[in-house]
Amino acid sequence: MLPIAVDAMGGDNAPREIVEGAKLAVEELGVPVVLVGQAEAIGDTGGLEIIPASEVIGMRDDPAQGVRRKKDSSLVRAAEAVRDGKAAAMVSAGNTGATMGAALLRMGRLKGVQRPAIATPIPVPGQTPTVLLDAGANAECTPTYLLQFAQMGAAFATARYRIKEPKVALLSIGEEETKGTALVKESHALLADSGLRFVGNVEGRDLMSDAADVVVTDGFTGNVALKTLEGALKFLVGAVFDAFNSSEEAKTASAVILEALAPVAAELDPDATGGAMLLGVEGVCIISHGSSSARAIVNAVRVAGEMVDGQLVDRLRGAVAAA
Amino acid sequence: MPAETHVERGPLDRQQVFELIRERLADILEIGPETIAEGSSFTDDLDADSLALIELVEALEEELGERTVGFRINDEDLEDLKTVGDAVDYVVARLAQAS
Repeated sequence: MLPIAVDAMGGDNAPREIVEGAKLAVEELGVPVVLVGQAEAIGDTGGLEIIPASEVIGMRDDPAQGVRRKKDSSLVRAAEAVRDGKAAAMVSAGNTGATMGAALLRMGRLKGVQRPAIATPIPVPGQTPTVLLDAGANAECTPTYLLQFAQMGAAFATARYRIKEPKVALLSIGEEETKGTALVKESHALLADSGLRFVGNVEGRDLMSDAADVVVTDGFTGNVALKTLEGALKFLVGAVFDAFNSSEEAKTASAVILEALAPVAAELDPDATGGAMLLGVEGVCIISHGSSSARAIVNAVRVAGEMVDGQLVDRLRGAVAAA
Repeated sequence: MPAETHVERGPLDRQQVFELIRERLADILEIGPETIAEGSSFTDDLDADSLALIELVEALEEELGERTVGFRINDEDLEDLKTVGDAVDYVVARLAQAS
């Protein structure tokens, strides 16, 4: 396999955690990795090759302008490595919009796909995750976009979680098809007639359940839903730990409970999901969250390798073309 | 790949610039070229977002940069281009400056 290009400069903990994760990925998974970035900032690579890139697109840079102006940035060079056949896939924990822009402008859009979408796995303890898309790439969408997101999301769920016929749902404010915005109602009609295993509308509370394998929405709503879940989970975990530490009695009792909670916590750990996937471009592109640890990068590299082996891009091409 | 309108590599006239923009835009937005007119608004009529416009800009720079050395579209100018016709006028003017 060609190496996975890892953007060494992207993310809150870059380059230290990213480089550490890349080294661990090679050690633990045996997947080849090439780092992209500034050699002097990266430091000891542990023998990994570097694709040099002198610039960095910052977390606050405008995505489209960043890609246009910083042509020697690690993000742009990583996407070019995939385009030029030097890397099998790219992974970045950097600026999400710029990652999407670099992938779109350098790798190119899949023929037939109107707009690429970000697919984020939402953990569901004891089950395969729910794939939520679009999680933020396209704030405003048309019903045709949502239909294509459903087709790509279903193909991704099959490739990633080996679900033969994924249950696809539309995010709304009620199960009834008469509820929701004009976009939701029109998209419902298209999905019902799509040939996908469409199970109708679901609500936000169903995201962390087995109601659907793929949940489709516009990028604005999807991002709000995702961030709401993240915030709620963070609050809940904090509140539980506060309660555990509230008295000596609670501390003693928590020693027993913590052991039982550990597997649940592991399933909910965002570092374990392997990151979000950009669907609809001519290559595998993983967008890891900004605060990615070395462990998150290992998982992202693992998923990237699996998706290259699983011919994700061909599956997506087929899913959209067959419609 | 050069557009069919560019088999003869002489200076482009306004109509040829319009056809080139229409062709590239149709490809980017996955819509029929016949749905794109000079009066079409990028956002209101064509649902083109900022990344779609950057895709168009890069496609035009690649295509026209090969023909006209120094052809470039300034990112700062993009905000002023509201319709396809605005883009055609802009590109025609930039080509004239570059040649």
